[in-house]
Amino acid sequence: MLPFLAIFRHDLRILLKSWLVRIWFMAAALLALVLLMSSWAEVKTAPMIASLMVPWLVFPWFVVVMVLGVNPITGSRTEALADGFLSRPIARHEYLLAVWAARLAVVLGTYLIVTAPAVCVAMLAKRPAPADHVTLYGVVASMAVVALVLALQVSLAFLMGTLLRKALLAVVVLLFLWYPVNAVLHTFRLEAFSPITLSQTLPTLLRQSWRTGEADLPAPGTELEIEELKRQAATFLSVLSGGAAEEAPRRKPGFFEQNALREFSLTKVLLGYGVPAIASLGLALVAFWRRDL
Amino acid sequence: MDLAIRTEHLTKIFNNRNVAVNDMSLEVPRGAVFGLLGPNGAGKTTTFRILLGLQRATAGRAEVFGIPCGPNAVEVRRMIGYLPTHPQLPGHLRPIEYLDLLGQLCRIPKEIRKPRLVSLLRAVGLLGQTDQPIETLSTGETTRLGIAASLVADPPLLVWDEPTAGLDPAARRFTLDLIRELGKSRTVVVSTHILSDIDQVCDHVGVMHEGRMIFSGPMQDMKRRLRRDDFLLEVGGQDREVQRLAAQMNAVEGVDVQVRGTNTLLVRLPQERSQAALLAELLKMVDAAGLPLAAIHSGLHETENAYLQLLQEDQSHGFQRFDLRPRRADAPVPGDLPP
Repeated sequence: MLPFLAIFRHDLRILLKSWLVRIWFMAAALLALVLLMSSWAEVKTAPMIASLMVPWLVFPWFVVVMVLGVNPITGSRTEALADGFLSRPIARHEYLLAVWAARLAVVLGTYLIVTAPAVCVAMLAKRPAPADHVTLYGVVASMAVVALVLALQVSLAFLMGTLLRKALLAVVVLLFLWYPVNAVLHTFRLEAFSPITLSQTLPTLLRQSWRTGEADLPAPGTELEIEELKRQAATFLSVLSGGAAEEAPRRKPGFFEQNALREFSLTKVLLGYGVPAIASLGLALVAFWRRDL
Repeated sequence: MDLAIRTEHLTKIFNNRNVAVNDMSLEVPRGAVFGLLGPNGAGKTTTFRILLGLQRATAGRAEVFGIPCGPNAVEVRRMIGYLPTHPQLPGHLRPIEYLDLLGQLCRIPKEIRKPRLVSLLRAVGLLGQTDQPIETLSTGETTRLGIAASLVADPPLLVWDEPTAGLDPAARRFTLDLIRELGKSRTVVVSTHILSDIDQVCDHVGVMHEGRMIFSGPMQDMKRRLRRDDFLLEVGGQDREVQRLAAQMNAVEGVDVQVRGTNTLLVRLPQERSQAALLAELLKMVDAAGLPLAAIHSGLHETENAYLQLLQEDQSHGFQRFDLRPRRADAPVPGDLPP
């Protein structure tokens, strides 16, 4: 355990000293403050908290997370890594797990330090906005879901960094993979796992209670909303197959009002993000083990 | 024989294109100071990196103290203190922080680690630089820190890759003295293409060329390969007098004397006659000519000559170097001296 902790602490120190992490932290805090203030007077608590999570789920922070994940075992660092650490009595998997854990700690630490106080303020402050019932379970579950998505992003970036060796190339490939992920998941009827859908279902999850589970869910969406969902899917497929887009309806529901996924299952989402994260880490370990330094 | 390093038919081909190590068999006896010689690109560094598990062998096997090498051979790396050429160390750390980190990687308890770090820094003369980041250290200081890093775990085998490269004369002297000192208590393998370094500190030598081990054995065996029938005499006096002396010496049967540079005579003696008697006769001539004798050199640059001779021989063998016969593990390496 001593080598693991040594590498973990060393990498953590490097990360905390890096300008990327410092600037990211400040920008994330600033954005959270702006989001909080902009929805202070009118928006209900659940959509307000959900809006704080959107930058972590959809854009822009996944870019920073992926850059952080790609970095440690690519490019010019490899030689220094080999000379400095891997020629010592430490197993490769120990090294890789330690740097992965350090990156995950920085990403989740930044996320929690920025988001948790903002969520507390949104929940506890007296605001002129209409009352909303947000549960503690819902808040913890929502934050855990976002943390899991971030863990998947770090692990995917790790895998790409190990496979492609060049940091810039790995980041570009990741962006090309991550951007269309929502469309791809919708196409395969896996929209429950798409980050956009996930951010839209967060208000539902935030209002959910631990004991009653599904019984306490808010009333199902209207027929109009179901029709809207069907129409969107049909339009997407129609556009993909070269057809014309359907005419847009007169009123479009708000981003968090779509209630698109009433069959939201926390277990499914946890598995849907957890298993690929572990698989990516496992593949990164195998690729790194097989690789010449 | 108790071996520190043993490789059998070790081969490394990068991307199915570049042959770095070619069917190399090597045995380094425990306790030896082994010099690995070879021109740039001969495969020395690749061999070291295979031993450390940083690279995988394409074929063949390598063992350190009987343990197979590989990426996860932590036990092997525990026994090796590695110094890379121009070590790339984490520049933001201070020397003591870096050594402490390595001590933790080597699983050394704090009670042993901390005192050892200080004594190592003192031993390599870096106590005055403990508060400076590594990136501000000079090349010599970085190499000395690399040396200290290789000794953190007190390993029984030191593998130093061109430890004197880029060092000033004082730092080079320091490093060579250290190798000599450390060689008394452990096995040391040093790669270099500076032949005088090998000459000064090594008792065993291996010569690599184009990825192959073309000679491996005691230093004396390598030197014995040379014809030892030439001497250099440095004498005083005018050029004219030196020329006259050379002419007198050439009159002795079988002796060939040439004037080289200023006041230096290259004397070649016939192998079939007593070299001591002939040399005595020639020295009497110097005395009779009234010229002061400044120095006598025997077999000058003999290691260099032996090394170059080995490379030339290897190249001249041409297609004979190709060998399809299955070899026993204990069979001599091509280029070895007959027993």
